[in-house]
Amino acid sequence: MNTPTPVPNEARQGSIACVGMGITLGSHLTPLARNHIETADVVFAALSDHVVQLWLERLNPDVRSLQSYYRPGKSRMKTYREWVDVMMSEVRAGKRVCSVFYGHPGIFAWSPHKVIEVARAEGYQAHMEPGVSAEDCLYADLGIDPGRVGCQHLEASQLLFFERNLDTTSHVILWQLGVVGDRSLGRFRTPDAYRELLVERLYQDYPADHEVTVYRAPTLPVEGPHIQRMALRDFPAAEFTGQETLVLPPAHALKPNAIMRARLDELDAVYGTGAEPAVPA
Amino acid sequence: MDQGKNMRDTVELLEAIGRDAKLRHASPEELARALEAEKASAGLRELVASGDSAALTEELGLVQMHVEHQSQTGGHEGDGHDDHHHHHHDDDKDKDDKPKKQPDDRGKDTPST
Repeated sequence: MNTPTPVPNEARQGSIACVGMGITLGSHLTPLARNHIETADVVFAALSDHVVQLWLERLNPDVRSLQSYYRPGKSRMKTYREWVDVMMSEVRAGKRVCSVFYGHPGIFAWSPHKVIEVARAEGYQAHMEPGVSAEDCLYADLGIDPGRVGCQHLEASQLLFFERNLDTTSHVILWQLGVVGDRSLGRFRTPDAYRELLVERLYQDYPADHEVTVYRAPTLPVEGPHIQRMALRDFPAAEFTGQETLVLPPAHALKPNAIMRARLDELDAVYGTGAEPAVPA
Repeated sequence: MDQGKNMRDTVELLEAIGRDAKLRHASPEELARALEAEKASAGLRELVASGDSAALTEELGLVQMHVEHQSQTGGHEGDGHDDHHHHHHDDDKDKDDKPKKQPDDRGKDTPST
């Protein structure tokens, strides 16, 4: 059997894996993500809870928080590009890099997707591992099956910046409520008046008394989910930390598509309905 | 240092609770008994008892974390992914050659963090 020639450390090519921490400490970190963290040469972290970061720092001797790049008034786009740069610096130095983001690394996160794109373009190994996201927690905690009538997820600000159409026969879930309406990307929180404007926009599709849920998943395992149910009109007055999500259940029933159903009848006439034949007596 | 030892214990204890199927969904009373048995810190016991995190924050030296990881698409920033690219004077590395556009709302509020 041939013994492979050992590759000198200097010649080792860099790589990056973007993984998710999940939402709740201790509950959501996958075995694979944990192994990425433990075996990395350097770990970059963008987490949602300082306690979680303190625990992460015990998994690897070189954990570097990305929090310090945020600044009030500084465009977060600049921050995200800096994150990519600092991660790529280590990849280009030949390091095995792991970046850890809270929840799922690819959901409502620009830098993980970008750094993978850049790294691959430069010929480095780069990939993303899925994580348990706040969306996953929401389904479990609120008893929502997104497959039942569908689920439309939007960044809340998009509803104000663009003429988006909402499908009110499905669930509609609005994220990033804390910075809704901010176009500067330099604020960490917009005033309540911006959430009032969001409600005004929602009145185009929902009645004011439509029951909605304001939800926040727990980051510490000694806490439960934060769930507030209220009429849409009362949303601006909800308890709000900036990490909440607005869940709007369907406002209308599904409307049968008569044309497509007639076309399905034609296909069934040719291929059979798929129903089991009756058992003869 | 005693504080360091407490800090390690508190963080490790929280992580252990997170992966314990019984404790993760234990009642407040059951959780309180478990914390007592584990000689949990006063800060952690206070959080469980009243929901007040002030003592835990002081114990561990916690700071608030920023959780925004994406630019709001359609804002006055090019994020390289949507069709609405705008150059921000703060973003010198933007490679898009779309027309410049300055944000018209610089925001005067001090972030709560």
